This record gives sequence, C-alpha cells and structure tokens, in this order.
Amino acid sequence: MRFPWLLVFKNLGGRPLRTFLTLASLTVAFFLLCTLRSVLDGLEAGIKASASDRLVTQSAVSLFVSLPDSYQSKIRSVPGVDDAIRWQWFGGIYQDPSNFFAQFAVDHDRLLDVYPEIQVDEAGAEEFLRKRTACLVGARLAEQYGFRVGDRIPLQGTIFPRFDGQAWQLDVAGIYRSTSANVDERTVFFRYDYLDETRRANLCGGPQGAGVYVLALDGRSAPEAVSARVDALFRNGPQAVQTTSEAEFQRQFVSMLGGVPIFLSSIGGGVLFAILLAVLNTMLMAGRERTHDFGILKALGFKSGVVFALLLLESIGLCLLGGGTGVLVSVASEKAVGGAISLVLPTYEVSQETQLLAASAALAVGVIAGVLPGWRAMRLEVVDALRAEV
Amino acid sequence: MGAPAIAISKVTRQYARGGEVVKALDEFDLEIPEGGYYAIMGPSGSGKSTLLNLVGGLDRPDTGQVQVAGEDLNTFSSGELAEFRANTIGFVFQGFNLLPVLTALQNVELPLLLTPLGAAARRKQALHALELVGLSDRVHHRPRQLSGGQEQRVAIARALATDPQLILADEPTGDLDRESAGSVLELLERLNKEFKKTIVMVTHDPRAADSAGHVVHLDKGKLERIVDNRGEQAKQATDSPPTDAPPTDGEG
Repeated sequence: MRFPWLLVFKNLGGRPLRTFLTLASLTVAFFLLCTLRSVLDGLEAGIKASASDRLVTQSAVSLFVSLPDSYQSKIRSVPGVDDAIRWQWFGGIYQDPSNFFAQFAVDHDRLLDVYPEIQVDEAGAEEFLRKRTACLVGARLAEQYGFRVGDRIPLQGTIFPRFDGQAWQLDVAGIYRSTSANVDERTVFFRYDYLDETRRANLCGGPQGAGVYVLALDGRSAPEAVSARVDALFRNGPQAVQTTSEAEFQRQFVSMLGGVPIFLSSIGGGVLFAILLAVLNTMLMAGRERTHDFGILKALGFKSGVVFALLLLESIGLCLLGGGTGVLVSVASEKAVGGAISLVLPTYEVSQETQLLAASAALAVGVIAGVLPGWRAMRLEVVDALRAEV
Repeated sequence: MGAPAIAISKVTRQYARGGEVVKALDEFDLEIPEGGYYAIMGPSGSGKSTLLNLVGGLDRPDTGQVQVAGEDLNTFSSGELAEFRANTIGFVFQGFNLLPVLTALQNVELPLLLTPLGAAARRKQALHALELVGLSDRVHHRPRQLSGGQEQRVAIARALATDPQLILADEPTGDLDRESAGSVLELLERLNKEFKKTIVMVTHDPRAADSAGHVVHLDKGKLERIVDNRGEQAKQATDSPPTDAPPTDGEG
C-alpha cells in the first residue's frame, strides 16, 4: 500500500486563505521565538564566553565606587596573579546622548596581553602604545559610525567633564575584532594614562582611581584561592574589595535587568502555547470539514491509521513550513534587529542552536496539534462519516 | 450464474433511534450469485442501505453471518475489512463521493494506491477506467468542474479501477437527471454483462430497478420477495404484449 501523499499537499492547498493565515501566524510566532531566545542568548553570551583564567576585583561596596590606583602593584604581588590591569568606565557622549556606546580607559600596554581575544593589526597595536590619545574601536562600532584609523572621536565627558568645556579627543589607532562574545565589537578602549594624567593635572572632574581591576591568573593557583587572597589583602581597607570570576562579574549586569530574562522566557512560552492552540483549532476544523472525505477513504479500503497520518502530516507540514519561514525571517533580519537593539544588547545572533530548537518546537507543535484531530478521524465509523454533511 | 458471491444468513442489525430500538434488518437471508445484477428496493427505513453497508463491510451485523466472495466478514478485524474492501469491492454512492481537491484522474487513481501497482501502471489503469466510462477528455477536471452525470461516471471509474469482483451502488441515479441516469444505468448494465461484475444496487428508481436482472424487495427489515426481471420479461413476452411499466412495485 502506498500512502496518499498527494492528499496532504492538496488538502493544505484546499483552503488557501486559511492555510495562508495559519502559515503567517506560525511565521510571526517562530520569528518572535527566535528573536526572544536570541536576546536571551545575547544577555548570557558574556557569561558563557567569560575566560576562566581571569578575575575581576571591584569595590565591596558597589561597582560605582572606585578603587585606589595603589592597589594595582599590591594585587600583582598576590600569588597566582600574573597581571592586573585597570578598567575605568568613561561614559562620554559622542555628538548626541542617543549615540550610546561603551568607552573604557584601560592599561594600554597590558590590555592585548590580558585579552588575547581582542585582535588588532600590528600597526594599530603600535599606534595604541605610542600615542597618548590613541584608542581602539570595535569593528561593528566603526562600521556603524564610519570610524576609520586616523579619525578623531570627540567625546563629551559626563563622569569626567573637562573644565575647559571642550570634548575629549580620541584618535583612532586601530579597529579591533573580538574572537569571543565576552568582548563585544561596539566598545572604545583608550589609554588609562591619558585619563589619569588629565585628572591629576586637575583639568577634569570625576573620581580618582580605577573602576575595577581585571586579574590575569598564572594558572598555578585555583581561582577561588586567588580571589580569597586578594579580598583578604584589602579586608582592612582603605577600600574593601570583592573579587569574582569574570563570568560572575558579567552575571551582575544580567541580574541588574531583574526579571527581564524570566519575562522574555514567559513571553516566548506564551507565544508557543498560543500558536499551538491556533494550529490545533485549524486542524480540528480541517478534520471536521473532511469527515466525509475520511469516510470515502475508509470505504475505499484505506485503514484508520492512514486517515490519522493524513491529518498528522498535514499539521506537521503546516508547522514546519510556517515555523521554518519564521526561522528564516529571523536569520535574514538578524543584522537589522541586531542593529536596532545594539544599544542595549551588543551581541545579537540567531544561533544554529536557536534555529534547531525553533524547528524542533515547530515539529512538536505540529505533532501535538495533529494528534487530537487525527485520533478523532481515526475513530470515525465509515457509515457515520459518509453520512456527514459535505 | 455461478456460486453465491454474497450469502447473508439470519442477519439482524438494530439501531437505537430516539430511545427506541429499530430493527433495520430482522433475521434476513439472501443469496446473490456471482455475476448477478440485483437491485434492492423498498420504502425508506426498510433496511436497504443497512444491507448494502453490511455486504460492503462498512458495518457489522448484531447476529447472523455475511459472506462475500466466500469470506465470512464477521471474522475480519477493522483492518482486514479495509483490505477486503480495497481488494474485492467497488463502491458507487448517490452523492458521487469524489474528493473535491483531486482531479478525476487522481480520484480514480486513489484506490489503486492500495494495490501493488507502480505509478505508471496506476496512471494507465486509471486512464483506462476513465476511457471506459467515456471521460477521457475530462481527466484533469476537478469534481466541481464536472456535471452530476460526469461525476457519477468518475465514481464508477473509481469503483472499476481495481477490477473488483463486486460493485455496490447506493442510489447511483438518485442525484441525476433522466438522461444522465440513463447513461449511468447503461454503464452498470454493461459492466455486468460485458465484464461479468456482480452488482448490487440500492435504488428508489423503478427505471434503475428495471435495468437489473433481479429486484429484491425489502420491507421492515425483512425480505418481501425477489423478482426475476428477465424471467418476467420472458413471461410477459409469451403471455402478454410487452409493456414499459416497471416490473416491480417500487415506490420510487
């Protein structure tokens, strides 16, 4: 016996408007699912990609309380620490407050050693070491604003306003690429000494010291032991510190969003459930409308299992087609969506895992929505089915 | 005529209708020989369709035995009954019962999916069946693009496609005008005479009954009488002048 595949396709096309509307609903739902999951992935990307051989030391009071510069040499002397570099959030405005991107003042001579994932060409690296006002610009940021090597980026200080009212001038030494999601390509790194010297010269306002220290480990001690040693070193002040893994440090930022990840997950679940009900309703209607046809098929000698499979396959086909289109749309619009939300989420990617998960969810919705109408059709008595109104 | 194609023995089938038990067939006996062309007549509710459903393996009797082509249908599971229908029986229904999403050719090919034939052989056989019913020029038309008579001829082609021994027709002319009904009856007669198909046809139409070899009259679930049309016609031919009047008391 051969399966009447033709009927699956013909029935899908039998009610073109209803099929189109159901497909459109599925497309929108699975586009949303992929987008929401990609946003969640983006939020978690930094955590997942965090290096295990780096720690972050911050004030035990708050991330917004700076640590003295004198801590650097002390931290470097802690057994297990290979290096410690300073990071300071700058918070400058480029032309307009809406042009938001991150800027950090860092120890320029050690940055590329501690962060091998930051890739910049040799000339850029050399220029970064040579010029006091040099900066490294992420490739995506450079693409967005058209920054090129040699350009000058004026930044209006907010945390560190210049007393002459002028903007800080940063010269683009190189465009970096990042090989890991924990460093995004929408950041500007400039030299800590440029900030520090301006500050010490009393040419600008702002707090003294470094926001955090990033510690590179030598691999000879367990990270937990190194954390404990660093924290113990400054237990009695002047500023108590808290040292955590890079992943834990990144997690703080996600937790600052409060219930947003849970909220996004709930919306995703709701969308999935709603589309399941919509497809189930469509398939139940299709099953009811075709009661007479099922009677004909059974009378001709097709077994009940074939009738069940017809509806099940139709449901699966519908969901895979609609869901697949949704996934394709989410992949095709990745750049546009990523650009639109890049201010709040530097990393946005519709991963293969997300695509596979969405396809699996589409398959599951198809199976669940097809089983009930298929089971009802399977149980139909031939005589009753033939009596059903056409 | 040969051995019985259909042997129904002491069959009772009852239904609950509005809280009342109605006997559609009551201790019913009937034998139809191979190659026979039998019309079943009787008033509404006399058990005609129930009889056809039981013979077609679409329903099961409460008691009694239904044998078709030597097989006791009571012993078959639902799946076995489906296989039996596919292999042995061709159905023609009053409302044509074609699948609206398929073309005439695809409708006729449908039961052939249940045979071991390959795609090319299925297509060839379906085209042959459509040619036989005179619809070679309508193979790619959908049911709604055909007239009632053409639809019924497609249904007959579908019933013929697998070359079944038995054709069961439920009011095949019920939805047709006089001309179309005539061509369908001619076709059924030809299938019986030329292709030796056993045909059982439920009908209210005296003209349809007239085309059959025998007319089985039912009333209240019981066999009232069987009229041998050919015998009567032979008798009329010798005893009295030929008449156009139906040889039955069918109530239409």
